[in-house]
Amino acid sequence: MERQEIIDGLVEILRTVRTIDPEKLTNVTEETDFIADLNTPSTELINIAAKAEQKFEVEFEDDDIDDMGSKVKDIVDLVIRAKERA
Amino acid sequence: MELQGRKVAVVGMGGVFPTCSDLNDFSDKLFSNKSLIRTWDEAVACDKQVRSKVAGYITDAEVNLDTVYSTIVENYPEVYVDLLKRIPPANLATADMGSIWAMLGTMDAISMAGWSTEDTQSEATGVVIGSGGCGHALLRPAWHHFFQKGGKSRSPGAHTVDRAMVYREAANVSCLIRNRGVCEGIVSACATGLGNIGHAYRLIKFGMQDRVIAGGVETTSLESLIGFDSMQVLSRGFAPEESSRPFDMNRNGFVCSFGAGIVCLEEYELAKGRGANILGVIDSYYNNSDGDGDMFYPSFGGQRRLWKGLLANTGIKPDVVKVHGTSTPAGDPIELLSVVDVLGDSGYHISAPKSQFGHMLGAAGAVEFITALLMLREQAVLPCLNSVDLNPELENIQKAETWDGPSVALKSYRHLLPQESFKKKINTIACLNYGFGGTNSAVLVSKDDA
Repeated sequence: MERQEIIDGLVEILRTVRTIDPEKLTNVTEETDFIADLNTPSTELINIAAKAEQKFEVEFEDDDIDDMGSKVKDIVDLVIRAKERA
Repeated sequence: MELQGRKVAVVGMGGVFPTCSDLNDFSDKLFSNKSLIRTWDEAVACDKQVRSKVAGYITDAEVNLDTVYSTIVENYPEVYVDLLKRIPPANLATADMGSIWAMLGTMDAISMAGWSTEDTQSEATGVVIGSGGCGHALLRPAWHHFFQKGGKSRSPGAHTVDRAMVYREAANVSCLIRNRGVCEGIVSACATGLGNIGHAYRLIKFGMQDRVIAGGVETTSLESLIGFDSMQVLSRGFAPEESSRPFDMNRNGFVCSFGAGIVCLEEYELAKGRGANILGVIDSYYNNSDGDGDMFYPSFGGQRRLWKGLLANTGIKPDVVKVHGTSTPAGDPIELLSVVDVLGDSGYHISAPKSQFGHMLGAAGAVEFITALLMLREQAVLPCLNSVDLNPELENIQKAETWDGPSVALKSYRHLLPQESFKKKINTIACLNYGFGGTNSAVLVSKDDA
């Protein structure tokens, strides 16, 4: 699975989170920070992770989620790692 | 404990009511003797699983809300969407449906009160709101997914706590309006709504707050109906609008209902000084317990002591008694006899709003307090709908050797129970509510110039 494909899928997930301003989702890159750039409430990050598990058909390790950074590339890495593990 | 000279005014009210678009629609329907009770499709769908199929329910669409369901947890309302954009998404994210009703009622009540942003965000402004149920609509699918389907704790997202905790309505309202005074929920079963208003009254009366937003909420929930249905205390066998019939001898239970009632209380001189429209002045609040050791059965002695504490040295005889009047076989006779025992059999009328919209449980006391404010505003008494036939025989409790209350049949009090709304000069109304556990609450509220 290509990294850009994962980013596109993540943007689709982010559009379902109503506390994120949709206008901020037009130029999401690997370096986009969920908290600093998108003003995502920290309580929504676990919701995004759970939806990513469903969308990309992977299961994250609890330790990986605990260590996850707040940038898009961090979730992309997590998805790829989980895919490799599967 | 009370501070001499400090009085408490009611300056705003709002809420969410079955079949009603807003507070004025609610008022119009009540004073037109209409019933807000309907056959509930969700209960009908349960077929033989439940006995009672009528309720005072409220759908999402009726409050201009939409539900976004989780793609992971089946039937889990992930978030509610306010189609009219009254509430910001950040506040919707932490709210169950009842908390949204509380926020909508609060916004209407503050608007009516005319409080500024500085007023609401003050350290002297509190929020005291409670509810009876516990977020069933969210917890049902969330826990089913976890326990039956083996789902992970993160599957429904991270909001099952804030959207279902016991004082979620107060918390959500406080986060919405950003007050800096107290924020808490007082819970006492079906006395919750009035209990919160009474506690708010004391916070102001005792000098701890200048303004309090107070009330009660009960969210539409099949679980609430199911629980009471199992106790066989819900009405059945009547047309929806005839199902709630307090004091009628053919009554067979209450009608499960839902809604929210929110009021703004303010220290009287502050309200008067800024020229506020004063909807009522609270003269007295009193609450107690039966002391009978009985979870369910109401107590003549407990209610007699309630009245004694309520009236105390006020010298007031209310013009209207807004009763709890649930329409259950056990509750109604004891309540009517305790009212007559204290006030005699003339010079006042009894109003039973549950006859029109059923029993809103944790919201009942607050929404019915609003009906008292509406009676003061309209100078009209709301009816005891469907109280067609009163018992011509003595009640069993009156036949006991130890009975020392009124010793004539309920039918003798026909004249106290109007079946239609009518105009009357009203200075003071007594509001009564009781709850499981033998808890009793009562308020006296008067016109400002009474």
